[in-house]
Amino acid sequence: MTHLDLLLLVALINLPVAWWLAGGATRRRLLALPYGLMLGMLLYMDPGATWDSGLSWVFLGQSLSWRLDGLGWFFALPTIGAALAAAAYSSGEWGEDFAGAGGSMGWLQLALAANVFAMLVLLAAGDLLTLFIGWELVSWAGLPLMVLAGGAAVGAGIRYITYAMGGGMAVLLGVVLVYVWTGSLVPADFMAVLPTLASWQVGLLVALFFGGFGVKMALLPFHLWQAPAYGLSVGPAAAFLGAISSRMGLFAMALVLVKFITLERLVDLTVIPGLLDSRDVLAWVAAFTIILPTYTALKQNDARLLLAWHGIGQGGYMVLGLVMGDAMGSAGGLLHVFNYATNQAVLLLAVFAVMHRTGTADLNRMGGLIVRMPLSFLALLIGIIGLAGLPPMNGFVSKWLVYRSLVLEGEPLLFLAAIIGTLGTILSVYKLIHNIFLGQLRVEHEDIREAPWSMTGPMLVLCAVIVVTGTMPGLVLGVVADAQQAIGLAVPDYHLGGVTSPAGGLDMLWLNGVIMAGFAVGAVLFYGFGGRTKRVHQLDNYAGGHFLTADVRYQYSDNFYPGLMHHIGGWYRGSFQWLEGALISVVDLLATALRGFYHQAQPAAWVLFTITLGFAWAVLP
Amino acid sequence: MMAYAVALPLVAAFLLPVLHNASRWLGILVGPAALVAVLLVVFQSWQPAVLPFAMDLGGFAPPWGITFYVDALALLFCGAVALMTLLLWPRDEGDGDADALVRRRSLTLLLAAAAAGLALSGDLFNIYVFYELAAVASYGLAAERGTPAAYAAAFRYLMLSALGSVIALAGIAIIYFETGTLNLAHLSLLAGELQGPTGMAAFLCLLVGFGVKAELFPVNAWVPEVYGVTTRRTAGLLAGLVSKLAVLVLVRLLVLVFPQEGLRDALLLLGVLGLIGGELAAWKARDMTRMLAFSSIGQLGLVFVAFSLPGTAGLVAGIVVAVHHMVLKPGLFLLAGQWGGGLRGLAGAARRAPLAGLLFVLFALSLVGLPPLPGFWAKFLVLTGLAGQGGGLGWLAMVAILVATVLEVSYLFRLAGRLYSRGDDEVPAAATGGGTVTAGVFGALVVAAVVFAPALWDEVQDMGAGAGDAALYVRTVGPMVPTMISGGAP
Amino acid sequence: MSITELLLELVLMPIVAFVIGLFMVLMMRRIGARLQRRVGPPVFQPLYDIVKLYGKRTQVSHGLMHDIGIVMAVGGYVAAETLLPMPGMNGIAEKGGLIALLYVIMIPSLGLALGVGQCANPNGSIGISRALTAMLAYDIPFVIVIFGVAWHFGTTNLVEIIALQQAGGIATWGAVEMPLLAIAGLFGMQAMLGKQPFEIYVAPAEIATGPMVEMGGKYLGGLFVMQCFQLYTAAVLYVTLFLGGGENWLFFLIKIFAVVAIPMSIAFLFPRYRTEDLVGLLWKWPVMAALIGVALVM
Repeated sequence: MTHLDLLLLVALINLPVAWWLAGGATRRRLLALPYGLMLGMLLYMDPGATWDSGLSWVFLGQSLSWRLDGLGWFFALPTIGAALAAAAYSSGEWGEDFAGAGGSMGWLQLALAANVFAMLVLLAAGDLLTLFIGWELVSWAGLPLMVLAGGAAVGAGIRYITYAMGGGMAVLLGVVLVYVWTGSLVPADFMAVLPTLASWQVGLLVALFFGGFGVKMALLPFHLWQAPAYGLSVGPAAAFLGAISSRMGLFAMALVLVKFITLERLVDLTVIPGLLDSRDVLAWVAAFTIILPTYTALKQNDARLLLAWHGIGQGGYMVLGLVMGDAMGSAGGLLHVFNYATNQAVLLLAVFAVMHRTGTADLNRMGGLIVRMPLSFLALLIGIIGLAGLPPMNGFVSKWLVYRSLVLEGEPLLFLAAIIGTLGTILSVYKLIHNIFLGQLRVEHEDIREAPWSMTGPMLVLCAVIVVTGTMPGLVLGVVADAQQAIGLAVPDYHLGGVTSPAGGLDMLWLNGVIMAGFAVGAVLFYGFGGRTKRVHQLDNYAGGHFLTADVRYQYSDNFYPGLMHHIGGWYRGSFQWLEGALISVVDLLATALRGFYHQAQPAAWVLFTITLGFAWAVLP
Repeated sequence: MMAYAVALPLVAAFLLPVLHNASRWLGILVGPAALVAVLLVVFQSWQPAVLPFAMDLGGFAPPWGITFYVDALALLFCGAVALMTLLLWPRDEGDGDADALVRRRSLTLLLAAAAAGLALSGDLFNIYVFYELAAVASYGLAAERGTPAAYAAAFRYLMLSALGSVIALAGIAIIYFETGTLNLAHLSLLAGELQGPTGMAAFLCLLVGFGVKAELFPVNAWVPEVYGVTTRRTAGLLAGLVSKLAVLVLVRLLVLVFPQEGLRDALLLLGVLGLIGGELAAWKARDMTRMLAFSSIGQLGLVFVAFSLPGTAGLVAGIVVAVHHMVLKPGLFLLAGQWGGGLRGLAGAARRAPLAGLLFVLFALSLVGLPPLPGFWAKFLVLTGLAGQGGGLGWLAMVAILVATVLEVSYLFRLAGRLYSRGDDEVPAAATGGGTVTAGVFGALVVAAVVFAPALWDEVQDMGAGAGDAALYVRTVGPMVPTMISGGAP
Repeated sequence: MSITELLLELVLMPIVAFVIGLFMVLMMRRIGARLQRRVGPPVFQPLYDIVKLYGKRTQVSHGLMHDIGIVMAVGGYVAAETLLPMPGMNGIAEKGGLIALLYVIMIPSLGLALGVGQCANPNGSIGISRALTAMLAYDIPFVIVIFGVAWHFGTTNLVEIIALQQAGGIATWGAVEMPLLAIAGLFGMQAMLGKQPFEIYVAPAEIATGPMVEMGGKYLGGLFVMQCFQLYTAAVLYVTLFLGGGENWLFFLIKIFAVVAIPMSIAFLFPRYRTEDLVGLLWKWPVMAALIGVALVM
């Protein structure tokens, strides 16, 4: 039994174990243990090597095999990490409350374990068929996590699975075509034949795989399902899903488009001669995926949905970096998977911690909670700085690499799109933290306590990861380099603090050093000089002629940026909603017509009609 | 020996009312006993060394006697007939009408006999006879509830089926007129004479005629109503079993007598239309039984698409798809029988019956093709076959299959979501455990198919290769047909 | 360069920047006075103001984040100054570069926004909402400018950019080779500094100075310090990108004061724009100019 087999076995055994552990209040405390074990096993395996599985069999003329290389390892890390955080988060008070409110902890933990197992199976795929098997398992494993919350989440889950299956079918068709056109599903074999395929064939494969995997990444125009499906789930599930689930799409894209089909081939495929090749198309899909969902997030009034919409937008950076394909861009795109996973996990865990205490995620019904839940505030603050991609957090590093690549490759409009996305993120996450933690504390939240350690603990550990990997990105860049090598990409010249490049590098050790020193100077200036400060009550402030009392609400997240909405408000037309609705209407119309056919009064006429038509067809030359 | 597969249920069907009057226990036992005996016969005959073999009934040599051709495929269907009938054996519905129950069981046995006959028959005339026998039995079963709706549906079925039979008969007549024989082996030798438009017309007649029972689009308008009003066991039997046997007959004809490309295209086109049409209609269905009925139409469309593929690959794909559906659909119908009725009333049903809920999810997942469940392999085989074949129609079919799968997911899991929703708990589901247990057996079959997949795959490959070998058929049956040995038409 | 020299630079750069910033504030006030036919304040008035604010007895705090906001606002700029080369001192400019600088100078804004948020004053929050909207408005033309410059010089390393311009003389200055980008950059700078007509988020008569509404004593003093740094940063960045950086201290000072003088002069001549007009204005002309500029550069 190889190391990989052992890892998969532990992940599989964890299914019943997680179910059993979830059953009792004391047992629950151990929920995170199996994931800790898996994480240890993963870290023990060298990401630079390829770990084969002993399992392999021939079936239907296809040989199925599994192997974990640098790319899979790199995605497995945040997968297990996110599960670890989610399990730890739910192992204490949260779990008790959830079970107490009629939720099924067993199902939650079982579904979480199933997701991890399915993802590992996918990440260790050794050929296209096992890739598809893993893909489908991951798609379906996500569903129970989403629908656990009941209510609106069920609808969101069904919408998800419909989209996911649409994507899955595109992937299946792609797999079948590869098999028929090259005669094999084993990478070594079909990669030898792929270059001989005609352009339309490769183009079709690219479209099918990009579209299919893109559904999971919620790339435009397949993005509508994701925010409600992830956001409306229960806390730990949402954090896990939001952090890593849809990144499986990026993994598959990296494997199939970058490694198997190769970016050079993508560049060769011209869409509009002299103007647009297929790689540009992918990059622009990514760019629109950055912008539109980010600005949709800006309009959300539910903290969970706001974050979930950002998740879609952040995926755009990853795809954008990856398809740029140069050392820096692809490193940035892949690094962002890890960085974003840490950020989003912290953010969602913090938001659900607040929800756990206040019972709401409505941004118009909170405020001022910083004085009651300072640790959650800190976690959210670190998370939003990371999500917005500002130094000193890790999100900055990955985005910097992507920007840097866009500048070097000479893509001004894509660069602008990436920056517009970041600016929108800043606006949106400020609204998030402002409306939850800043401003007035509401009367009904006077007695709120900080979330328990079982919840803040995982959040703070993740925060530490964000800061450490922000200061020392080289820690993760090493693994990213292994992943890049596994799919045949160039590796940037990296070191512990960042990257070096003749055209301008980055050293986060120094950058964060001066930022911290700057803060220290600021702190000395502030606290060391001048008069003593005096805390005043929140209502003791200057109102320019008006009196503020506790019953005066001024949360106006509904239209937090009126000046901006004056300009872009009209652009929120819900065109994609409309498209989706139109498609459903068409299906509905056809279905009604078909039902009419089966309910007609004269079915026998159709028999005669059919046979007449058949005769005509047989007799006419 | 194999004659018992037809004879035992047939005899039991006629004896059952008599024996029931003599002894209640005898009446209850005779049917299952006959079916178990058939199963044993099938098992005993399943020896790769002796397969395939041919036999004539009653010692009359063809063309006057009845020829049975026994290969792995025929045995598979014979075994399936017995097993399905046994699993879906009519139960005492508790309506106290003992006579109706006896009648129902009797008809079921008759259906089993006719179905086995269809699987084994080696000449067209007998096929027609067994087909009619099956039709008569199924009319009775369709109307078994005795409600006005049941009679209306059964009458609709009767009308369509009778018209189909007439057309099939016309096709048989054309063939006989052209070649002078109805023995399939003999016809296979004379296939050249059926290459022209007349032959094609004959096949189309048979296609439309048998297509009525095979739920072929567009002659399947009886399906949703009949399945909607009969007991779920009967619906499972008709959808799972009888439809497949009608398909089997058409496949035998295609392989042995009509190797024309164009006919495969016709089959493919009708299959695609049936697939898309069925799934679309199911998407809109408002009660579970009709949803399953429409879904069954769609699945049969897929079966047609699979069998339209040329060569062994097509047969293998077709067998896998057909058997897969044969196992799933009765299971689903049984669950529907458990829950019954409109979709609205199903909220929270799976919460009250967790096992049934799990089975539903398992069946649904296999139906939409989640690997490694068997439904995936079925779909994969069909798709690779279509992609390899290429052509405009092939691409259309591929897209249709994929779109249909998405539709299937959409409605099946909309229903699953409803089953698991926190509905109003005051309406407990009718707690008849029997249906769930039987569905559980079907579920176990699905799981077993995953576990024993490689072995099954080898078996199916052999089966497909055997069934696709027209020369083998002729060689096997030939010695029994005097006219063939002399080599000329009578 | 030895580590001690580097550390010395890191200490000196913010201090020098602060001093220059003080004089820029002074110049701003003097220009305003001239235009309004007043005498204007004495040389050390800005420093006096800061000392006065720090020395006030009433120092109202609305909570920890309020305090930390000020720390971040000042500290962020202190850090940013070490990324901006000045004559003879490069600090860690080569370890960050243009894009990193762009993001580091967002930290003070974020700190301010968080600090204001905790004040629980509607006027403050409205001010921040406007300020962030303005940021979105001016950053779009500004990043196009940044891109154009980085592409033109083939690097994001500020030291390199300066070296390239100084090696080629005036003819290779950014402003000469990329006039459209230089103009767009000027627009962006004006808005970035929050000067009229883009001072919507302060709006004294409307939302009671917005973000500053709850700021008194050393809180306001901190913001004053921040303003010094802000003026300095904007001016040096512009000079670095378009005017060849500082060949020596004399040219450096002349250039940066000249650059700051432009927005100051404009500022006193214009009324205030509404937020939506500001967004519209910045998204129209500077973006167009910058895009054409980039197209010409590429």
